[in-house]
Amino acid sequence: MRRTMVFAKRNLIEVYRDPLSWIFCIAFPIVMLIIMSIVNSAIPKEAGNTLFRIDNLAGGIAIFGQMFVMLFTAIAVAKDRNGAFLTRLYSSPMKSGNFVWGYIFPMLLTAVIQACISLAAAVVISLITDYSLNIAGLLLAVVAVIPSALMFSAIGFLFGTFFNEKAAPGICSIVISLGAMVGGIWFDVEGVGGFMYKLGRCLPFLYATKLARSAISMDFGVREFLIPLGVVVLAAGVLTALASIVFDSRMHADQR
Amino acid sequence: MGYAIKTENLIKRYKDKTAVDGLNLSVKEGELIALLGVNGAGKTTTVKMLTCLTKPSGGKAEIMGIDISKDPDGVKRLVGVSPQDTSVAENLTVKENLEFMADIYLPGGKADEAVARAIEAFGLAEFENKKAKLLSGGYKRKLSIAMAIIGEPKVLFLDEPTLGLDVLARRQLWHEIEALKKDMTIVLTTHYMEEAQALADRIVIMNEGCVMAVGTLAELENMTGKKGLEDVFVSIAERME
Ligand SMILES: Nc1ncnc2c1ncn2[C@@H]1O[C@H](COP(=O)(O)OP(=O)(O)OP(=O)(O)O)[C@@H](O)[C@H]1O
Ligand SMILES: [Mg+2]
Repeated sequence: MRRTMVFAKRNLIEVYRDPLSWIFCIAFPIVMLIIMSIVNSAIPKEAGNTLFRIDNLAGGIAIFGQMFVMLFTAIAVAKDRNGAFLTRLYSSPMKSGNFVWGYIFPMLLTAVIQACISLAAAVVISLITDYSLNIAGLLLAVVAVIPSALMFSAIGFLFGTFFNEKAAPGICSIVISLGAMVGGIWFDVEGVGGFMYKLGRCLPFLYATKLARSAISMDFGVREFLIPLGVVVLAAGVLTALASIVFDSRMHADQR
Repeated sequence: MGYAIKTENLIKRYKDKTAVDGLNLSVKEGELIALLGVNGAGKTTTVKMLTCLTKPSGGKAEIMGIDISKDPDGVKRLVGVSPQDTSVAENLTVKENLEFMADIYLPGGKADEAVARAIEAFGLAEFENKKAKLLSGGYKRKLSIAMAIIGEPKVLFLDEPTLGLDVLARRQLWHEIEALKKDMTIVLTTHYMEEAQALADRIVIMNEGCVMAVGTLAELENMTGKKGLEDVFVSIAERME
């Protein structure tokens, strides 16, 4: 535990000293919130498109932001694996669990801070646009997006373990595009239906967005809240376990 | 006195290359040995096996009586290594790097003290709040070495520690290594004969993964009939051609 925290602290410093992580993990979601709110104000009421209304938008952006946390996790791990520093730590008493959680904790923390900031920004936007948001729902959402934060950190960790510094960002970009699409962040996949929706239902992203939106609107229905929660928690658990196993075997393979 | 390091027929085979080929080596506690050998002789590979960074393909090795294959975690607690490639956390400051390593190895209270001591011993005070990536190559190297020592290892491996250091810094590091000698067993690889001559209790000359000669400088001189380590080394290296 002590070594995990020591390593987590180092990774946290690395993240916070990199201006890119501020831009992508904190500033970018806020900018997207603002832009999409402007887009929303231009959509005529008769169109009946509520996806960019601040209550729906906030949930979507919270998940979209986490996808960038995934990207940064992947880069951090891939970069370290490429350098001599991680190798050096292999000869220290650190175990693979110390590494896995040492990478994931700071990213989880980043994701939570990110959720707080973008949801706070949503409150400001809701005040400007005169749409009343449920504050209790927003607070609940901060907690409800923690499982998906873990899930995205674990995915990023896996990519960082499998791919090198050059390939990992590319792979993550694909997942970000795909996830945003089938996750129903920018359009209503459920309404569109077809292949896109089928694919969306097989991947965890759609459930993550749904869970965040349901939390904000305090909709605790089985289909709206409980099933998405179950799926995301399960996905987070499985992917984190997988990340530990993969890292452990990689660590041993590196020592061959 | 027991052995700090004891290897028996230690072997490391890569796909198309046997890097270490039946190494037999015994190092007494508190001894400082220098590993010499031409490029590719297997020095780094030996260090990597003894610090559990790579698994041997055959043979046996013990560090302070602990088998490296059976209890790598036990070994890792006892050894420190300064790798041939400088390795520090680039975005952390000098002090943060040292604190990081100290916290990994030492219990709470001892860490701060160890950091202060390392900064003092390696003359890093001036740069303690500078990010590692902004240091000159030589100072980065010093930091990398300080990070190996800070965990108070019983056995310290220094793989070409003075590579890239200027003459003054090299001399200064020699003094620091000398001062460490009383607390730990040290294995040092080097291409500088005068470094081995100045520091080592015993010298090990390796070639193609095997030990060619072991002994104090005087013993090696007697054996080859040459004077000075450089001539001794050349004569042993040439004998193998
Ligand atoms: N990971 C590896 N895969 C394949 N061959 C390797 C690997 N690491 C080292 N070797 C080979 O093993 C041999 C010994 O290498 P090693 O790095 O131990 O030499 P060295 O004595 O440290 O040399 P130098 O003085 O140049 O540092 C070399 O022929 C090298 O090419
Ligand atoms: Mg070497």
